Amino acid sequence: MNNYNVILMLCNWGAHSAYQTLQDTGAEIPPEISMVRIPCTGRISKSLLFKAFEMGADGVALVGCEPGTCRYGSGTAAAIENTGDMREILDLLGLGKDRLRLATFLPDDSEPLLQFLKDFCSEIRALGKSPVKHVKAAKPEPATKKALSDIVSSHDVFACQDCGKCTSACPLTLAGKQFSPRALAGSIIAGDIDSPEVQDDIWACLTCGLCYDRCPSAVNFPEFIRDLRHFSKQRNLDGHEAHGGFFQSLMRAMTSSGLKARRWDWLPDNIRIDNESKILFFGGCAPYFDIFFRSHLGVETCNIITDSLRLLNFFDIRPALLQDERCCGHDLLWSGDKDNFLKLARLNVDLIHSLGVEEVVTACPECYRTLVHDYNEYGVKLNCKVTHIYDLLETEIDKGAVDFKKIDKKLTFQDPCRLSRFEQREDLPRMLLKRLKPGGFQEMSDKGSAAICCGNSAWTGCDSFSKALQVKRLRQAKETGSNLLVTACPKCQIHLQCAMEDPFLGEELKMEMMDLTGLLAKTIYWE
Amino acid sequence: MTDKQKKKKAKKEVIITGFGGQGIIMAGRIIGMSAALGDHMHSVFTQSYGPESRGGACSAQVIISDAQIHYPYVMRPDILICMSQGGYDKFISEIKQEGILLIERDLVRPGALKRNFFSIPATRMAEDLGRKMMANIIMVGFCVSVTKVISKDAALDSVAKSVPKGTEEVNIRAFNKGYDYGLAILKGRGKKAAGQTGVTG
Ligand code: SF4
Ligand code: SF4
Ligand code: SF4
Repeated sequence: MNNYNVILMLCNWGAHSAYQTLQDTGAEIPPEISMVRIPCTGRISKSLLFKAFEMGADGVALVGCEPGTCRYGSGTAAAIENTGDMREILDLLGLGKDRLRLATFLPDDSEPLLQFLKDFCSEIRALGKSPVKHVKAAKPEPATKKALSDIVSSHDVFACQDCGKCTSACPLTLAGKQFSPRALAGSIIAGDIDSPEVQDDIWACLTCGLCYDRCPSAVNFPEFIRDLRHFSKQRNLDGHEAHGGFFQSLMRAMTSSGLKARRWDWLPDNIRIDNESKILFFGGCAPYFDIFFRSHLGVETCNIITDSLRLLNFFDIRPALLQDERCCGHDLLWSGDKDNFLKLARLNVDLIHSLGVEEVVTACPECYRTLVHDYNEYGVKLNCKVTHIYDLLETEIDKGAVDFKKIDKKLTFQDPCRLSRFEQREDLPRMLLKRLKPGGFQEMSDKGSAAICCGNSAWTGCDSFSKALQVKRLRQAKETGSNLLVTACPKCQIHLQCAMEDPFLGEELKMEMMDLTGLLAKTIYWE
Repeated sequence: MTDKQKKKKAKKEVIITGFGGQGIIMAGRIIGMSAALGDHMHSVFTQSYGPESRGGACSAQVIISDAQIHYPYVMRPDILICMSQGGYDKFISEIKQEGILLIERDLVRPGALKRNFFSIPATRMAEDLGRKMMANIIMVGFCVSVTKVISKDAALDSVAKSVPKGTEEVNIRAFNKGYDYGLAILKGRGKKAAGQTGVTG
């Protein structure tokens, strides 16, 4: 009868004594509780909290010591922050914040603890089972030589001429990492995928595509890496995920069709939406990013969404929004989880088709690339047009009668790899940049299709070399003499901001950043 | 309203002025032709070159009416389109009080003009499209969306029939460019009147 699953993460110290008293006295602890002993509530990161939900928990209680009684001093404070953020994320996702609770008890508080557990369990029962269905990892597949050589031949890696152009272009290599795409290709051709060095490299690659741009044999290295990651994941090898794999967990949770997300509750009231519209605006995951990174990066990537919608409204376009929008799946695809990427793709495509829209507009270069290219490539056909908002804005602005206010800043621009390189549209953001009226515009020394990556892709393999690479990129930005770094991807904002938090170089690297949509929205006006 | 007044109301007089080589005459003919063939109105079209034709001043005059037109010359234009300063200086005093004035933004300086007007950088836009000669077609498109003196379909049809063979497509693009610009200006004025010049919020 009891098929509920409530996880109690219980601090080893004060609160555990209270729990032990309950056990010793044979108190009726609700049977759905599964207790996990933890060293301190502060050690339970957002990714661990969420992991429980991804695995199908109906509720999670994080129980520890009252502020001031924490053995480590700041544990409870960290837990308050983490659970607060996570509750907001659960709300966005449609799971509801009430499924996660933080509570603190003194060692003598066994009765109040019991009462809390009973109350929490009955609240969870009132909320019902979690709509997130745990997707069990498939049984590890044997690493056949054939499967590996299929990957090699499907990307024609045999065509590699051993010229080394890729290695000399790779920003990771140039940042000093012992990393060589050419050597990696060689190892894989030789059938070695399991050695730790090879695995490290497979997950370190930024899939930025700079090497592909230079390769005389047109070896599509990023896609080769993407398939090697999938191959590795099928055998349950570790994916070197950043942030404890939180983002991958989040995206996997979104594959549950029963979830009714509440993606847009935060939207300002004055944004005009029309759910009958033939144009759909696809927002992307920025709202999740902003909550997740609030305490240590303070990025505001949601502004990209609001500014985009405001710009559409400016041109009298009131788009529809997908209440149930899922992640486009980009990061799962590029971190080796093709199966769950496909689930997200199908869910999104079905939802979009059910609205009967003719055009999907997005401001995220990763969503754009994924919707326009990867869905089709993986056989999930989207039967409407996909437009990057820059294309739409350029067309509208080109009609005339609008102008831009002066901006008292010198600008430089960080290319988003998915738009500038993968989709070969480096011209597109530049057309819009040209329309602005800044105090100056200066390209960085590496620009357009040759631009250096913001430092990470698909939340995997972030390490000290990614940091070195970002430092190099930010120095390039500084060298232009500009004081505003314009970005065109929420991830560029996040990763570059992260580099600016460097405790040693931070001040030297700090630079104001703003997304291009923000600059346009701030300065555009009707003549 | 008497029949006579009604007829009077449905009559529009247009003057297009500029200098030779700008395609002023063709623009006039396209407007007249569209009215007659596409919109089934009566129209007359007259042209005049100044003595200094070929690079000198020229103008085209079109009258469009739903009744027969007895007198072919324009007395006071309802719509004045100026693509040169000389043309502007010559005709500006003749436009009706409630008439609509359209000017080529880079070629005409209206000075301290106290009336409402619409301007478009047609020549620059034509250059962007690769052919400076298409400024006239852009201006026709602009005139159609701003004044609605002829229908868009009729105008598109006449443009395609009037321009040199092989250039239909690019001329239609030029027409649409001017047309969209006009719509954008009207939209912008609407927004301004409603006090929403920038993005909201
Ligand atoms: S650039 Fe291409 S051909 Fe040259 S070593 Fe790299 S993969 Fe091989
Ligand atoms: S995709 Fe980028 S990071 Fe990966 S090997 Fe090529 S250049 Fe290096
Ligand atoms: S650069 Fe910072 S934000 Fe980006 S993946 Fe690495 S640690 Fe995370």
